[in-house]
Order: sequence, then structure tokens, then C-alpha cells
Amino acid sequence: MSRIKHISIVIILAFLGLIMLLDLNKIPNQFEYANSIYHHITNNAVGETGSLNFVTAILYDYRAYDSMGESTIIFGAVSGIVLLLSRKTLPVSSHGLSFIVKRTYGMLTPFIFLFSVYIIAHGHLSPGGGFQGGVILGAISIIFSIVYGSEFDYKRYTPTTKTLLETSGALLFIGIGLIGIIYSGSFLSNLNILNSEPGSLLSAGSIPFINLGIGFKIGAGLAIIFYSMIQKTFKEEASL
Amino acid sequence: MNNILIYLVIVPLATAFLIPFVDIFSNKARKILVGFSALLEFSIGIYIIISNYGEITEHTFFLKYYLGNWIPPIGITLSMDMLSLFFSTLISVSLLFIITYSIGFIGHHEGKYYVLLFLIWAAMHGIVLTGDIFNLDVFLELMLITSAPLVAFKRNRNGTEAAIKYMFFGAIGGLFIFIGVILVYFNLGTLNFADIAQSFSLLPLFSKKMIIIFFLIGIFIKLGIFPFHFWLSKAHSACPSSISALLSGVIVKVYIYVFIRLFFNVFGFDILRETGLDIIIIVIALTSSILGHVLALSENDIKRMLAYSTVANLGIIVAVLTLNTKLAILAGLLHVMAHLLMKVSLFTATGYLLQFTPSHKLQDLKGVAYKNIILFAGFTLTAAGMIGLPPMIGFASKWHILQAFLDRSFHWGSIIVILGTIIAFFYYIKYIIYGFKTISIGPPERFRLILSVFYRERVVTNIAILFAIAVVVVGVFFKLSYGPIEGAANAVMNPSIYIESILGG
Repeated sequence: MSRIKHISIVIILAFLGLIMLLDLNKIPNQFEYANSIYHHITNNAVGETGSLNFVTAILYDYRAYDSMGESTIIFGAVSGIVLLLSRKTLPVSSHGLSFIVKRTYGMLTPFIFLFSVYIIAHGHLSPGGGFQGGVILGAISIIFSIVYGSEFDYKRYTPTTKTLLETSGALLFIGIGLIGIIYSGSFLSNLNILNSEPGSLLSAGSIPFINLGIGFKIGAGLAIIFYSMIQKTFKEEASL
Repeated sequence: MNNILIYLVIVPLATAFLIPFVDIFSNKARKILVGFSALLEFSIGIYIIISNYGEITEHTFFLKYYLGNWIPPIGITLSMDMLSLFFSTLISVSLLFIITYSIGFIGHHEGKYYVLLFLIWAAMHGIVLTGDIFNLDVFLELMLITSAPLVAFKRNRNGTEAAIKYMFFGAIGGLFIFIGVILVYFNLGTLNFADIAQSFSLLPLFSKKMIIIFFLIGIFIKLGIFPFHFWLSKAHSACPSSISALLSGVIVKVYIYVFIRLFFNVFGFDILRETGLDIIIIVIALTSSILGHVLALSENDIKRMLAYSTVANLGIIVAVLTLNTKLAILAGLLHVMAHLLMKVSLFTATGYLLQFTPSHKLQDLKGVAYKNIILFAGFTLTAAGMIGLPPMIGFASKWHILQAFLDRSFHWGSIIVILGTIIAFFYYIKYIIYGFKTISIGPPERFRLILSVFYRERVVTNIAILFAIAVVVVGVFFKLSYGPIEGAANAVMNPSIYIESILGG
């Protein structure tokens, strides 16, 4: 019975894939359309936004509202996971890894932090940005609880600190949007006051600051998710 | 340019961000924040209606907003026409009362619960206001992600299973919609609703069909229409009643809005008629309707019965909208409002009653009416409205649906509406009779056995009774709601107005 089921699933998927392929073949090249927004962005992005990175220009300027929604999805996921997994017990720490790993990681941590800040701050100049840098920021906290034991992580960065970082990142994003209303009458419009020539660090108006907000939001959010998930493991360990 | 539109999204969003922040410092400040923000968001909706009252009565109401000052095809546009206004008002009114109900029902100790509720509110307004197809997808995803943890709120086995199912099928539906969005961008090079609507008919037929089918499957999975109905009843019944009311009353209506906006304004109804898909949709939706009624009849659990009744009613709404006459769309929108009011009323009342019974089963509901006779009277009246008895709002909407089917001489539709009404009568009367049955132990002793865990009982009963009164009052004066609904139906029938209002200056 299950074999028939599997075979029929494969056949259906192959059939759907074939239809997809046929459709994709018939698609005209959209870049040939005169009114495609592709042309506008490739021709005018640097001049209009001051960002050398087109992807960042689209993410945080042309469609910054979408990015706000996307980072809010992660915020919502964090809230949901905390709601479902939060328990009042303090985590009982494991002792972490060996002395060598602890020392080595202790020396590396500042550089990892610097790297994440670099990726966040240079989002408008090179590949990267708030989402990517934020993940590295979150990874620091995760590696802390693996290498030094979660008690260390708990004492250094309490859940309150993480929540503060996360919400302040989110509020920074909305705050920049609201400043846009005051400055030029539209939510999330680019603040041209902060512009210098394209290519320098403080160019591209409000894009670096939105990156910063998203970076903190994502980093702290991922750390919270990891933290809520390991709590149960530690509770079990304590009962042993 | 009117800044008021963006505040409809920003206010609940900022509240959701502020709640954990405020929570660190003071528990009491959070309670004030929740109440204040709900009222603020509600009053923004009221302000929009009052300040544009003249235009709303003349059906020429249209607001638009360019985010970041980017002119339509490039940036994201927000817009509000009569249809968006109709849904936005329904969302604001019901969410305000559901949040008040939650304060009495769940209490204040769960900060994250309110974070998620406000995020859902923001996502719903984001969907209703947006004029951009990718932005629509983002907010659909946000609504799914934030409502799934609430389904599992009870943290028991049943709730977790339901939440996983809800999440899984919602994500698959979202994936179909996302592929549709990709195909639209690949084919047309634009994401703006009005821009798509302008050039969609120029595409080759095969591409058009492909896009339509992807969107249709995605929306049908999310709506729980017939082949995909199986996840809905479990998800809508496993959560606390406040969330059931939200899911079954409001969130599915937002998906109905997406259906209307995409297939009537953006892609245009002509493509459905050209390909003969409209008849297929009607047949599937009617099947879904009759199946929902039959499953509700066979169900022994009151919340699952109500959830299957949602499947049945959604089927009817989709079928009648797809008839695409002015009367049919008017009837469909009227039933959207009627079903929202009645479902929220039934779930809020059920949430109160189920606190005094050992389980959700029919046998355990014996004599539950004597616990609060006024509230159960409200439940009975609303159930009568669900069946379709005058003077409740359910009668008015069902009457219009019947007329719409007869008008297009689609007799199968009218037969299924009548058949559904008869079946609905049997499954609702069962619970009402059991509710009034006296039992040998006598109600007082029996009810003392179960600990009720209300935070504020008075708030819960008052909200439930308020919705029951609303069902009757709106039912008596339903002619007053003709004006705005007719305006909304006009907006649905004339996509050219939408296109011109956004693209033309």
C-alpha cells in the first residue's frame, strides 16, 4: 500500500515539475519589457539611494516596508517560541568544553563580534547587511553557551538584556520610518541629510541605521530562540 | 497622500514591539498599553470613516499612500478603497472586542499572548491595505507565523498537533502563493497590483492559467476549501476560545479578502471565465459547503462542530462570490459580515460555557444553560441566526445568497443552501436541547466540581452577550449596511477604478 502511495506521489510531482518546466520555457524575457521596474532600479539605484549594493538598495529603500514585515516575522516567531517553551526554571549549567577550547574561543570572540558589526555596517557597500550580520551576532551567544556552559551565557547576557536588544532594534526601525514622515512626509523614506558621496561608510541615508536595527533584532532574536529551546534539555539533565 | 493609512499598520506593530520592552519595567504599564493601543487603533478606523464620510456615502472613497515616496510601479503602494474599508472596519471592531475578551478570559500574566495578537492585527491591516503582491505575501506569512503559536497555546498534545498541522498546511499554501508571485514577476516585471491588472491580459494563455492555478490552490489551502478542509477543524478547535473566535471569525475573512482582491481586481474575472475555472470553483466550493455541514452533523464536540460549520460557510461565500453578479457579490460580502459576527458570538459564548464542563463533548454540556441563562439565550439566538431564521443577520445574508443563486438560475446552488440550512438546524438544535436539559445531580453541585479560571468573569459574559445583541440588532437594521456594502461591491465589479486611482496621479 505504502509503495503505491510513494510511486503515485513521485508521478504527481514529476507531472507538476514537467508543467512547471513547460511554463518556464514559455516565459518571455522580462528584461525586454520597457516598463519593468528592473530597468529603473539598475539605472537609477545609486543616484537615488546612494547605496552601491543594489540588493541592499531594494531591501532597505525601495522595499523597506517588506523588510520590516520580514524582520517582524522573526520577531513573531521568537515571541511564539518563548510563549510555548518558556519555563520558569533556571537552567542548570553544563561545564562547557575543555580549557583549550575556552581559551581559544575567548581570544576569537572579539573578532567574531567585529566581523558581525562589519557586515552590518557595510551592508550598503558590500554583500551582507542586517539579516546576515545579525545571524553572526546571534551565533556568538549560541557558541558561548556551548563552550562555556549556559550559566555563563545566562550571567553575561540575561534574557532581559536580549529582550531589550531585540525590541530596541525593532523600535529603531520603526523610529527611522517615523522620522521619515517628519522629514519628507512619507514612512520609511530615505533620510538624505545623512548622505555623503556614495562609497563611504556613512552614505546611503538611513540604510545603515535600518541595517543596525535589523541586525540587533535578528541577533538577539536568534539567541532567544536558542535559549528557550535548550532550557528543557537542561531541566532533564538536572533530574538525572 | 494621507499619512493616516500607515498608522493603521504601525500602531499595532509598535505596540507589539513595545510590550516586551515595557514588560521588563512594569507589569501594570503593559496592561495600560494593551488597552490604550487597542482603543487607539480602533479610533484611527473611526477617524478615517468620519473624516471621509461624504465620499463614503457617494462611493468615491479612495486613499493611497506611497511608502518612501516611490511612485507606484517602483515602490510599495498602500491603498484603501471601499472594499478595504469594509474589511478593515470589520477587523478593527472584532479585534477590539476579542482583545477585551482575552483580558477577561486569559488574564494578564501572558505578555507574549498580546504581542502575538497585536502582530496579527498589524498583519491583517497590512494585507487589507497593501497594493503590492509581494508585500501581500510577506504579511500573509506574518499572519501564519504569529497565529500558529496561539493555536498551541494550551500546550497539550492535542493543541500541539493542531498547531503543527496548521503551520504545515498554512506554509504549503503560502508556498503556492509565493511561487505565484515569482511567476507574476517573471512574466510581467512588476509587483504592483494596478500595474499587474493593466498588463495581465496581454500574457499568453498558458502563463495566465499557471499563475491563476497557483494562487487558487494556495488560497484554497489557507481557506480550508474542500480537498484541503481536513486541517481546519482541528486547528480551530484545539485553541482557547478567544483564539478560535479570531481564527474562525476574522482570519479566514482576510483570506476571503485576498481571494476577492486578486481574482476580481488584479487578475480580472475574465480569465476565470475564459478558462471555465469559475464553474469548477463554484462546484468545489459547494461540495465543500455540503461536506462541512455533514461533518458538523456527525461531530460530537461543540468546538469542532463550530469549526466544520466555518468550512460550510466559507464554501458558500466563495461559491456565491464566484457567480460574479452585483447581487451575488453583495450577498457574499453581507455573509462575510454575518458569519464574522455570528462565529465570534458563538465562540465567545462557548468559551464561557466550556469552563464549567469536564470536556467539549455533547453529553457533558447537559444543563449548562442554567449556569448563565442570559448568555445561553444569546447563544441560542445566534445559533438560530446561523441556521438562518429571521430577524437575525444570518437570515438576511442567506436570503440574498439564495436570491443570487436563483438570479443566475444556478439551481444546484440554491438547493445546497437550503439543504445546508436544514442540516444546520439539526446540529444546532442538538446542543441547545442538551443545554437546557436538567440533570439528576442538579446544576449547582455539578458545576462546583470544575474550577473555572476566568480572570474577569464579567468581561467575558458581557462581550459574549454584546456580540449576540449585535447579531440581532444588525439583523433587524441590515438595510443600513447596504450603502457601504454596495460601495464595496462596486469596487469589486469595476477594477478599472482601482487601476486608475493608483496609477493615474
